Amino acid sequence: MKTRRSVSPGRIALFVTMLAIAVAMLYPFWVMITDSLHTQSQFISGSGFSLGSWRQLSAALPVGRQVLNSTLICTVSIFVILAVGLPAGFAFAKLRFRASSLVFLGVVSAMMVPLQAIVMPEFVNITRIGLTSGYFGAVLVYAALGTPFSIFLFTTYFRGVPDELVEAGIVDGLGYVGALWRLVVPIAVPAIATVTVLQFIQIWDDLLVGLLFIQNTADRPITVGLAALASGRTTSIPQLMAGSFVSALPAMLVYLGFQRYLVKGLTMGIDR
Amino acid sequence: MKARRLTLSQRRQLAGVVFALPALALVIGLIGVPIGQAVYYSFTQWDGITTTWIGPSTWSQAFHNSDLWTALKNNAALLIWVPVALGLPLAIAVLLHQRVAGWKIFRSIYFLPTAISWVVLGLVAERFFAYQGTLNSIIHAIGLSGVTTNMLGNESTALSALGITFVFTMIGTNTMLFLTGLATLDPSLEEAARIDGAGRWRIFRHITLPHLSRFIQLAFVMTVIALFSALFSLIFVMTGGGPGYATTTMEFLIYQTGFSQGQFGTAALYGLILFAITGVVGIVQLRLIGSDL
Repeated sequence: MKTRRSVSPGRIALFVTMLAIAVAMLYPFWVMITDSLHTQSQFISGSGFSLGSWRQLSAALPVGRQVLNSTLICTVSIFVILAVGLPAGFAFAKLRFRASSLVFLGVVSAMMVPLQAIVMPEFVNITRIGLTSGYFGAVLVYAALGTPFSIFLFTTYFRGVPDELVEAGIVDGLGYVGALWRLVVPIAVPAIATVTVLQFIQIWDDLLVGLLFIQNTADRPITVGLAALASGRTTSIPQLMAGSFVSALPAMLVYLGFQRYLVKGLTMGIDR
Repeated sequence: MKARRLTLSQRRQLAGVVFALPALALVIGLIGVPIGQAVYYSFTQWDGITTTWIGPSTWSQAFHNSDLWTALKNNAALLIWVPVALGLPLAIAVLLHQRVAGWKIFRSIYFLPTAISWVVLGLVAERFFAYQGTLNSIIHAIGLSGVTTNMLGNESTALSALGITFVFTMIGTNTMLFLTGLATLDPSLEEAARIDGAGRWRIFRHITLPHLSRFIQLAFVMTVIALFSALFSLIFVMTGGGPGYATTTMEFLIYQTGFSQGQFGTAALYGLILFAITGVVGIVQLRLIGSDL
């Protein structure tokens, strides 16, 4: 197969190129970390280091509260997406009803609707039913936006499950709910993980929904808090970078821990 | 026996409907219905509370609005970054595919920015392009001490700065796609070509690239859709649509028209135009993943 890692000049050049790309891709982290390690005056003068901006961060940006908000919003949204997406995927794959493939096509098409296209009526609707105070308006919107893709993913996944398995379960008296819960969900763990990781990163990183559908500043997720802090005129850049780092950390850790699920989700539907 | 089998099938169908219903309600209620509402509101003057029916003239008026054309022009101008947002990741994926020592670590590093919010990446990009930022340091370091750029503050360059940032944000995802594609390539094909005396470029051109065509198409579609509907965070933190209207794209125009100017009807109309554009691209995507439908 491949030549045994002989250290040829070409190989070394390749390695150096890859190192250079790595430096470019790590640049954002370098900026966030180094810029945050100054006070505002040190930053302007360009010399000296201090942890001052980190110490005063929570005064400018209620990091703890906002990270908690983000976590809650992500958790509940993902829970809703799984709760409605799993049975729907099971139905489209195994419990085909009249016109189910047409309905499935419709649901998958909803994947293509950008939120901006419908944001005006959406905003008015959610405001009218009074859900812009608190998280639930945003949770509903995130759930609706994430559901079509998760249904697509689950349906594709469940099609790989033999019909006999489900039928046997039904005959054995599990019932449809039992078959879903006891037979299908346990083998769907990789698909569930993919949806969870993908949605977590998407929702954690989102700005628009949180910005519009959460009216109370206290309920803001960290990404929205950060964007709001950035739009303030007097914002200290070291503090902003410290806040950026904090907001990026959870999504980074999830990514590093579950990388392969993310890759699977992003390349879904084409990798075979 | 026959009658019982029929009821079994009916029961299965009933269960299918019941299982699909909550998801359908969510998607119809929050995505389907608003599309219909947007169509209705696009014919009205609407401030979110009172609605006055105007009729089709709202559309002809909108198309006479220079803001709309500026936004469409900005979106069109950004399209020139799409080939870059595909070419660079393709090159990176090919490099990764050589599997030099530590390639898995490199892969993790290259994908790492994918996890980060575009709000954060936009803030970092602002630091990069800033007057006292990295870009100017680099320019000065290579000896051009008289040159100082301020790309984001300049009407003629702000859109390019946004485009460059967009390319950076897309690298991870597209590299991931191409690397997945390369992994499905049968190594013996390349091996056979090599034995037949084909050079590296010929192998890439005639074996690797055709094999990747589906992946390239998908990446193209995803990149174009992102360009039209995912730049909001970058624009919000980097430029706010400015200077002037230099970086106001369709999605940002919708936000501004609706939420800064309170013209809900016009914003709904703009939304439909955006939807039409991404819809055409989306149909292409549906056909690409069509084998799974």
